[in-house]
Amino acid sequence: MHVRGRPIPKVPTRISGLDEVLEGGLPRGRTTLISGGPGSGKTVLGLQFLCSGALAGEAGVFVTLEERAKAIRQNARAMGWNLEKLEKAGKVVIVEARMFGGEVLAGEFDIQGLLAIVGGHIKKIGARRVVVDALDVLLRVFRDPLQERNELYRLHEWLIDRGLTNILTAKTHREAGPALQYEYLDFMADCVIRLDHRVIGQVATRRLRVIKYRGSGFGTNEYPYVIGGHGLVLFPLTKAELAHQALGPKVSSGLFGLDAMLDGGYRSASCVLITGTSGTGKTTLTSTFIEAACRRGQRVLALSFEESRAAMVHAMLSAGIDLRPALRAGRLLVQTALPEAMGSDDHLIRALQAIDAFQPDHVTLDAVSACVRMGSEQAAFDYLMRLVSILKERGITCVMTNQITGLVGSDEELSGIGFSSVVDAVIQLRFVEADQAINREILIVKSRGSAHSNRRQAFSITSMGIQIGNNPPGPTLRRQGNGGKGGAE
Amino acid sequence: MRHTSKTKLQRGQAWRGHYRFRLFMAGKGPNSQQALGNLRRLCQEFLPGRYTIETVDVVKDFDAAVKDNILVTPALILVQPLPRVTILGNLSNRQKVLLALGLTEASS
Repeated sequence: MHVRGRPIPKVPTRISGLDEVLEGGLPRGRTTLISGGPGSGKTVLGLQFLCSGALAGEAGVFVTLEERAKAIRQNARAMGWNLEKLEKAGKVVIVEARMFGGEVLAGEFDIQGLLAIVGGHIKKIGARRVVVDALDVLLRVFRDPLQERNELYRLHEWLIDRGLTNILTAKTHREAGPALQYEYLDFMADCVIRLDHRVIGQVATRRLRVIKYRGSGFGTNEYPYVIGGHGLVLFPLTKAELAHQALGPKVSSGLFGLDAMLDGGYRSASCVLITGTSGTGKTTLTSTFIEAACRRGQRVLALSFEESRAAMVHAMLSAGIDLRPALRAGRLLVQTALPEAMGSDDHLIRALQAIDAFQPDHVTLDAVSACVRMGSEQAAFDYLMRLVSILKERGITCVMTNQITGLVGSDEELSGIGFSSVVDAVIQLRFVEADQAINREILIVKSRGSAHSNRRQAFSITSMGIQIGNNPPGPTLRRQGNGGKGGAE
Repeated sequence: MRHTSKTKLQRGQAWRGHYRFRLFMAGKGPNSQQALGNLRRLCQEFLPGRYTIETVDVVKDFDAAVKDNILVTPALILVQPLPRVTILGNLSNRQKVLLALGLTEASS
């Protein structure tokens, strides 16, 4: 029992994003119910909880009532968890408690046998965590609803009496009528988490929702999650408060001319959108930034939905931008993907994993316009909003390109697919026809928290890089952070 | 619950040998005690002198429960003759138990 006003003890799940939603983790020594349809990831969540506990020195017992222990081990292996090793080390025990259905029922019975088996294993390895997967299979044995409920409370009490932090999973079927078949489970458990797996616009999406959490606050939204190569990952991004970092000091765009127009360069931790029709030099401008940043020793993650790494490197060579040294030095990481290859959730998790692993100072994205091919405009919007939100929270600069269709001045198009609120600076590139020649022009449409030029400037792409106005072409050698100037908000 | 002396034993080709039972119990739980009582009564009536009951307390001997995959108690396993039969519950449903064990009260 918790004392009102004082936080109850919790056990972190170490599941990315979930602890944030649960404000710290699952209730220690209490029961958490996880329900969801087939394939929603209940078993994976349970396994992940046990494995992270085992690795942190807290042993656990996994009671599988449905799948064979072998299948559970395979499941775990697919997620990169070596259960066998943890079993050998005495950190995890899998109890295969499968009902066969061939038994004859003759009179009343109870689950003392199961409790004895689980209890024996718990004692043997000193387990503090228990996962029972899945309750509905256990309950199926009882033909009488009252007895079913009694046995469930017996299990619940038994686990609580021993101070075991436990997860009970239960299958739900939408077709099965009123929500959960075993409604009283919700009342019994201290924490109830619902996993939902549905298909929207031909793209499979998964949502997690915390229904209740006795004695604790929790995020009340539906949170998208994916089951990736390392288990569940959540995106608790729709937090009530924005936790964006303030815009940081100026960081050079790589071009002296553009830095001058921007009063020193891009603001770090801001979101910069470079927009223009095809061929105006958006990717070249972005690559200029990448090359200069890497040369200053910073790390850049380039997300490309347009071309392969090789094609990108090759194309930039003709514009005098050599990205190879940055790649060799491990300062530039290029992650490419076909937008239609997976859902936006999967794209996001892929990007997040790269961000976590690579710890970049800046992220570039080429191009916003390609993201629509992730499924729908809504999917692209979700992806971009969440990505930019995370980058801002972490103080990472984001430079994105957006290809527009040609109607210059169309405001909706300027900010990409309507997410202008998170975009801090917009740079517009365009072609102008004059004296039977096509010239390029660059304009700073907006630049939050900074003075900036309001003039269109002519620029050209030479074999030595971009040349703006009369400035010499190619990258500047200016150092980052020399401009607190113009930095006041 | 008829007690007739005319009861005839039938089990396929009528097993005339020894019956071995293993009864899994949970300590002194009421269902377990009832099961033991019901089983003893039934054996004395139908299998006098040719039965053995081995009891296992899962609370004390969890390895045995693991070995036979006993999840609920009480649980009765007919070890001999084969095929192996598992009956769950306190064995209060006598007809069901007899049927499962292949012991029928020949009624006419």
